[in-house]
Parts: sequence; C-alpha cells; structure tokens
Amino acid sequence: MTTHTVTLTGLRAVYGTGTRRVTALDGVTTGFASGTFTAVMGPSGSGKSTLLHCAAGLDRPAEGTVTIDGTRLDDLGEDELTRLRRDRIGFVFQAFNLVTTLTTAQNVELPLRLAGRRPPARDVAAALDAVGLADRAGHRPGELSGGEQQRVAVARALITRPAVVFADEPTGALDSAASRQVLRLLRALVDDQGQTVVMVTHDPAAAAYADRVLLLADGRVVDEMDGEITAAVVAARIAEREARPSEHAAAPAGPSC
Amino acid sequence: MLSIRRSVSAFVAVAIGVTLVAAATLLLASGRPQVPDRLARAAVVVQSPEAGASPDSFVPTRPWSATTTAKLVGRLAALPGVAAAVPDRTFYAQPLVDGRPAGTDGRREDAHQGHGWASARLGGLRLTAGEPPRRPGEVVVDRALGLRPGVPVTLLTAAGPQAYTVTGLVDGPGVHVADEVAATLAPGVRAIGLVLAAGADPERVATAARGIVGADGSVLTGDARGALEPRNDARTRWIGMQVLTATAALAGFVTVFVVASTFAFTVAQRRRELGLLRAVGATGRQVRRMVYGEALVVGAAGGIAGLLVGGGLAPLLGRLLVDTGFEPSTFKVGYEHWPVALSLVAGPVISLLAVWSASRRAARVRPLEALRDAAVEQRPIGRLRIATGALLVAVGGALSVGTATAGEARVAAQYALYAVMALVAGATVLAPAVVGPLVRMLRWPVRRPGGAIGMLVRAGVSTATRRTASIAAPVLLTVAFAVLVAGMVRTTTAAYAAGRADNVNAGWIVVPDRAPGLSDQAVAATRGTALLPTTVYESDPNSPPANRPLTALGVDPAGFAAANRALTVVAGSLNDLSGDDTVVLPASANRQPAEPYALVFADGESVSLRVVAVVTDDSIPGDLLLPRSVVRAHDPSALTSTVYVEDRIDPPIGARIVDVPGWAAEADRAEDRLVWLFTLLLIAVSAGYGAVAVANTLLMAAAGRVADLRLIRLAGATRRQVIWLVTAESALVVLIGALLGGAVAFVGLLSIRAGLAEQAGVPVDLVLPWSVVGGVVGLCLLLAVLASALPTWRSLRPGPARSPVGIVG
Repeated sequence: MTTHTVTLTGLRAVYGTGTRRVTALDGVTTGFASGTFTAVMGPSGSGKSTLLHCAAGLDRPAEGTVTIDGTRLDDLGEDELTRLRRDRIGFVFQAFNLVTTLTTAQNVELPLRLAGRRPPARDVAAALDAVGLADRAGHRPGELSGGEQQRVAVARALITRPAVVFADEPTGALDSAASRQVLRLLRALVDDQGQTVVMVTHDPAAAAYADRVLLLADGRVVDEMDGEITAAVVAARIAEREARPSEHAAAPAGPSC
Repeated sequence: MLSIRRSVSAFVAVAIGVTLVAAATLLLASGRPQVPDRLARAAVVVQSPEAGASPDSFVPTRPWSATTTAKLVGRLAALPGVAAAVPDRTFYAQPLVDGRPAGTDGRREDAHQGHGWASARLGGLRLTAGEPPRRPGEVVVDRALGLRPGVPVTLLTAAGPQAYTVTGLVDGPGVHVADEVAATLAPGVRAIGLVLAAGADPERVATAARGIVGADGSVLTGDARGALEPRNDARTRWIGMQVLTATAALAGFVTVFVVASTFAFTVAQRRRELGLLRAVGATGRQVRRMVYGEALVVGAAGGIAGLLVGGGLAPLLGRLLVDTGFEPSTFKVGYEHWPVALSLVAGPVISLLAVWSASRRAARVRPLEALRDAAVEQRPIGRLRIATGALLVAVGGALSVGTATAGEARVAAQYALYAVMALVAGATVLAPAVVGPLVRMLRWPVRRPGGAIGMLVRAGVSTATRRTASIAAPVLLTVAFAVLVAGMVRTTTAAYAAGRADNVNAGWIVVPDRAPGLSDQAVAATRGTALLPTTVYESDPNSPPANRPLTALGVDPAGFAAANRALTVVAGSLNDLSGDDTVVLPASANRQPAEPYALVFADGESVSLRVVAVVTDDSIPGDLLLPRSVVRAHDPSALTSTVYVEDRIDPPIGARIVDVPGWAAEADRAEDRLVWLFTLLLIAVSAGYGAVAVANTLLMAAAGRVADLRLIRLAGATRRQVIWLVTAESALVVLIGALLGGAVAFVGLLSIRAGLAEQAGVPVDLVLPWSVVGGVVGLCLLLAVLASALPTWRSLRPGPARSPVGIVG
C-alpha cells in the first residue's frame, strides 16, 4: 500500500466577487504518493497553479482540506503555516526567485537560517554538489545562467529535507538543454532519494519525466495517466480532450497565476 | 539583504536630519551666558535681588538704593581677602563723533554705557593714555573712537548733549566718568564687584559675603557671574535658543516623515523579494525584524555621518547666527558631550520610528506575491489608515478652533502649530484616498489635450495611488508648513501693527535713531507728547512674587489723553496725575483712587504713591502711568521711547520722524526682522528637506519603472515623449501635493485670523507671502522634474530592443 505524502480533499478555490467571480478549483480530490514524481497539466486557467499553491500552503482554499505528512493545513495559523512550509515543503518557482543580493551558497542556506539554524558548510556544499554547482558557491544569481539559477533554486528547496517539493513551471523560463538538466535532476531526486515531487507544467516533454500525470480543466481533474509516459502520449491525450466538447459551460479565463 | 543602492535615500535623509539636529544642539549647548568683560577681574560679584518675573522677560534686577549700596560696600570691603568692593554704576552715555552717535558696534550695549572710573578696575581696563577722570566734565573714552586726551567731546545723556573733556583713553568700550558724577547719574546699583587680595579663595569670600547680603541679593562666583551679562545679550541668546530648539525639533519631525516615506517606498518596491522570503519560510515577524534591522543600520550610519557633518558645520552656523543677530557677539561654539550623545542616538531612533509603519506593511506581504509580476497596486488604502487619518484631521480641526478662540497670542500660536502638524499628518495618511478624486478633478477641465501621454500620465498617477501619495507627501508637508508659518507670521505682524496704529491719535511720531532713546532736550525740542518708560518694582506682600517688575510710563496727562485714542478712564481723573506722588493704574491692578501704592524705582528708593485714576487695561502701552517728572527724578538715565507730534517737524539729533502707520509697522521691527528671518530659516530647512525627499522618492521610483517605460517605448513612443511623460507625471504629483498642503494650511490660517481679529478688535487681513510659497513649490517642482527626467533619459539611452520585462512567462 502506498502512503500519500500529500492528500487533497474536495478543494475549492474562488477568486473575485460578483460577475468577476472565477472558480479556480472546483472540488479536487487526489493525493501524491511518497517517492513519486507527479506532473499537473492543463490549459491556462485550468487551476493547475492554484492547485499547487493550495497544496503548498501558499494559498488557502475556500473549501476542502490539504494534509501534508499527516498535518492538516487548515488547522494552522499563519506563523505555523510558514514554519511548516519552511520545514516540510520545498518550492521551485518558474522565475527562479533567488535573492539577488545573496551568493549561491547563502541562497541555499536561507530557509535554514530563517528557521534559526546554521547549516554546516559541508551540507550546503553537498546540496550544491548534488545539483552540479559545487564550483558556483560564491557567485551571485546575476552571474549564473538561467539553468544554473534554477538548479540553485532546487538545491534551496532540498536543503531542509522536505517531505515534498513543489515546482511551478520550473522549466518555463529555460531553453531546452537547461530544461532537460533540471528535469533529470528532479527525476534523480525521486529515483535516488525517494523524494516526493509535484510539478506544474504545460510542456508534454517535461511531463514525460513524471510517474503520473494529472490533467486539469476548469478546476477539475479530468484525466489521469500513469505507467509508461511519453511526450507523444501526453500530447495526444491533451489534444483528444480539447477536441471533445467540455461537459461544463466554457468558464471565463481564470487567473493566469 | 541590505542593498547599498536602495539604502542610499534613507541614509541621506537620516544624515541630513541628524546634521541639523547635531548642529542645532551643539549650538544650543554652547549658548551659555558669558561673564561680561567689564566684570572679568571681580572674582566675586554681589548682585541685587532678582526681579520677580519669568526668566524670559529679561528685566534687570531690582537695584539697591544709595544708602543700601553704601552700607553693603562698607561691610563687604571689610571682609578678609577682599582688596576692594566696587559698586558698578551703569548709565546711558553715548559719545558723539563728528556730531553723530559713534556707531562702533550698534548692537553692543556697552558701547553706549557710562560707568564710574572705579568700575574700570573690575574689568581690568588699562589706561593707554592720559589720566583718570577726577572732576565733573572729565571723561575717559574707548581709544577705538580715535579721540585724543585734552580734546572736548559731546556725550549724549538722558538729559541731553553734555560737553565733556577727554582726559584719558582705555582699551575697552564705554565711557568712564568720575565716581561722584556716576553716583548722581546712576544712583541705583545692581552689582558690587569684589576684587580679591592675592591668594584669597573666592568661594570662602563668597560664603562670607552671603552672610552679609542675606536676602538682599545674591553672591556669584566663577561662571555663575554670567548672570550679569547685558540683558540684551541674554535676550538675543534666548531668541537664538528658540530658533535652535525649533530647528532641531522640526528637523527631527520632518526627518521621521521623510525617512518613513522612503522606507514605505522601499518596502513597496521590494514586495516581490519580501514575498519570496515569506515563500521560502520567513515568518511575518522575521520579515519585520529584518526591515527594522536594516533601518537600524541605515539610521546608525546616517546618524554618524550627520554628526560629523553637523559638528563641522556648527562653528560656521554659529558665526552666521551672530551675524544675523540670533546670538550675542560673545557667543562661542564649544563641543559638549550631550549633543554628541543625543545625535548618535537620534539617527537610529528616527529610523526606527520612521520604519514602524513600513515594517507592518512588509510583514503583511503574502508569500504568493513572489509569484506575481503585478505592478498594479491593489487595495490602495486600509481601514486602519483611514481611521488614523480621520482622527488626525479631527484633532487638527479641534485645535484650529482652539486657535481661533484662544485668549493669548502665544497660546494661539502654539495651538496653530500643533493644529497644522496634526492636519499635515492626517492629510499625508489620507493622501492615497484623496489622490484619485483629485486627479479626476484636475483633469476635468483638460479632458482632451495631452493625447496618449496625457492618458498615460493620468492613468499612472491615479492607479499607483500609493506611489503618487508617497511622492506627494513631502510636497504636502513642505507647502503646508511654508504657507502656514509664513502666512501666520505676516498676518500677525500686520494685525498687531493695525491694532497699534488704531490706538494712536497723532500726525507724526518721533523715534530714536541710532540711539537707545531720546534725551530730555530732544523731547523738549519736539514740543510733543512724550512717553518716558522706566522699570519699577512692586512688592505686595499679598500677591507674590516679590519685586514684580512693571513698565511705568512717565507722561504729561493732557497730551497723553489727546494722543491716545484707546484711553478709557474707569475712575478718578487723569488730570490729577501731577506732583511727586501720584500714579494711574489699570483696572487689573485692583486699586481704587486715593489708595496708597508703593513702588521701588530705578534708584532703589521705595516711594509711596497715591492712586489718582484707574483706566481700562488696554488703555495704556505699559503697566502704569506716572508724572514725567517723577520718572526723571528717580531714573536719571531714563530715555524717551516715543514722542507724538501734531505736525511734521525737523527731528533733533539722534532722532527721526515717521508717520503713524510707518511707526506702527516698525515698532517691533527689530524683533519682526528676527522673527521673519527665523521663519525663513525654518521654511528653508523644511523646504530643502521636502525637495530632497521628493527627489529621493522619484529617483527610487525611476529605477523601478525602467521596464514599464521600455514597454511604452516599444509601443512606439519616442524618447522625448517618454521623458515628457515622466516629467508631466512628476509635475502633476507635485501639484497635487502643493494643492493638498495649501488647503491644509489655509484652514489653519483662517482660524488664526479669526483669533487675531478677536484679540485686536479690528478686522485682520490674511497676508500670504506668495514669493515664499512660489519659491517652495518651485523648488520641489524643479527637483522633481530633474529627478525623474535625468534617470529616465539615462536609462533609455541604449536601444530599446532589450527584453522589456526580463522574464517572459
């Protein structure tokens, strides 16, 4: 029996009021098993980013519960939530989001420093080594390429040994070579260390690195694939869904976050 | 986390503020009374009893009478260790050189003072030529006058010009006559200097002297003898102290404001970064602590820089203060400990106060904001903010009402200042809410012109209300302050002049010219109605304090009644003011005609007078009226301040003639000049600050807008159009600030005018110094345009083809 690191139950998220009201998530129930790599896909406005934000405790759903490692997020206050995020969750953003005034090593150790711990230098070095950037410890983000910056971000997400790493379009701002490096890195984390990874993407080639693909549309999970996943299969399934008329009335364009 | 580039603005703001605080407090600490040179050699000085008045009225002490003086001198001279006890006699005597009062240094009181020759010993004056004065008609003068021993000289005295012969020269100011002559010209004595024998201990002598003097005076040694400095010096120093205190307080207040808006802006610009920190696990409190920490570092660094600059500037400013008359010529700058300590603390404290609200906002940044690129601000104004602003405006309004109804001018002025502070703070807090409607209002008459640029300007200003507000805030503050203070001073001056002129019923007025007053001979030559002021002391056992000083005016009753329109007799008759024992009192003295009334005069004699009339309080420009002859008899050095005449006459020596409005306007001219200088100084401080703050904020904003402007450039705007856009935007924002500030100040001014009109009893015109207002707004406008156009011009220099936003998602 597989244990679920993250469980989502009946998630609903709504933005705006009145006529500008947008339902971003419309009752999503799913789980992310420990030691698996899940890709969440869907067209713009399908709610995939909102799903990720809610699952990572960056945003609160209107209804439903998120459980991470046995802890229900809706019971937590703002500070407790922050601490949980700091200790149990790693996050990789599309736009790298490194602090430009800090060096690579300082960026990596930042979450631990915020938690009041000072990581041993060799831990930081090891984390950078794991993403292949051992020689870049003293550089600032401005001196790194996009791919390198994203790998620093991955190292930062891993430094606290989180239960789950969420990645929001981690290859969205990278060229294909750099994308492949980052995706292989994520894959290796799952295979070698049993890390749980959840990634939002709209690139079928990126989704092909995952063990499982969730397809979202209009705030609902409309399709799910696992087993042998290739870019061609994913692309075909997406195309198939788009050809078929939705059983829901076309929702207005949701928040593109 | 601390970015040098981002911290520069706050650093500069703190440094300027601390510079001002440091310079002002250093000067404040230096402004201590100086022992007059004239008494430098007297190690112990006995001073006559203090007048029972507040220390800021600068009334001289109550003199001893001739008999008391003689008794004290005799007993003090007999003390062991005392070589000589010398009564210091001071009277009015001004040598004429080439027929005019010698103006070696008009502001130095001792240049037109006469003393007995014995006093020369107290100051250690050296006779550089000739002999001491021994007989009436002999005088020793300052060698700086350029006279030789043996030549005749005319001394202007209270009686009139007197012929003297120079017998010797000394190396110090003032004239010295024979001691017997001095005793008749200055029968009252206020200080006895003790010259000690070699080796005598001043403290021991002082203790013995205290035993002799008892309650009839005080014994001073060392620096405490500074209490004997000329009253004008003390007064000047007091004015200087007010100026410096106000400057330091204003600098502190303004700095907190400017630094707060700088920090607010930095936080707004860093939302993404702060959101990122929150996303990777920083709690709100940690973010807040970080912002505080940065403020502390910036504040400490700025404080040290400010202290160094302020310390360096202090001597220069000190000289400037002496030149402009805010400090006496004896003023020297010293470096005390407490201003240094205060300035060191001021930097961090100002910073922490200023960052308080910004840190709250920083802590509220949500982690998700790291993921948004949104530059459009949402939720422009919080509920707490509206409540705070409304409260401040309400308090300001209430204080304005207080100003309008306050009984006393000084109280009213204080109310006015607090009212404006509250209104300004309120307006600043509410500014983001007001900006939108105000922009709509401003654009209403010019809906069409402007084209695309006009559209962009209006949209930018009214959408980014926080940014607009934080740029407009310093302008608001500066303009409100300038309009209010300048308007208040000008209106008050005009109101008082109007009130004064309204009371006088005469064609022309003769006033002193380059002399402290008019002599009897000069008064006689004018054949007008003269006011001869002297200070008398009232000691009523039923109403403390003892020795309460009063300004008595020696008048001729008939002439005074004719010239004074405000005179209203309540009881008795003014015509009975004659003989040598009569007095006219105001109603507030609570006396009835025929009651006895005792006063101590300038010669130290206590005289029992008889009340002959009671007048209303606002009838007379002093505390009581005496027959002119009584004043002259008891104060041989009393000088006439004002003579009312019917027709224009040729003024006598040392006098000039002015018409009534001219006299009313210049009556307090010296003081008005100081007040106006002071006002301009304060306005300059705040305006300079406001302009720096505006430039600061705009410079920071420019950096954050480069991407925006590149997009506009890509959309087809020429470089000139973009520069025109930012310039117009800044100008519009400055205009908004100026309008809001002007409105706030106008409310304050209206209430002040109402208060003044009630007091003066005449309608008061609102006087607005448009040149000052224009200057302040112009300065802000100029710096704003420069601070936005220059960086834009620089940042747009390379081709516009670069990626406009950096990351394309």
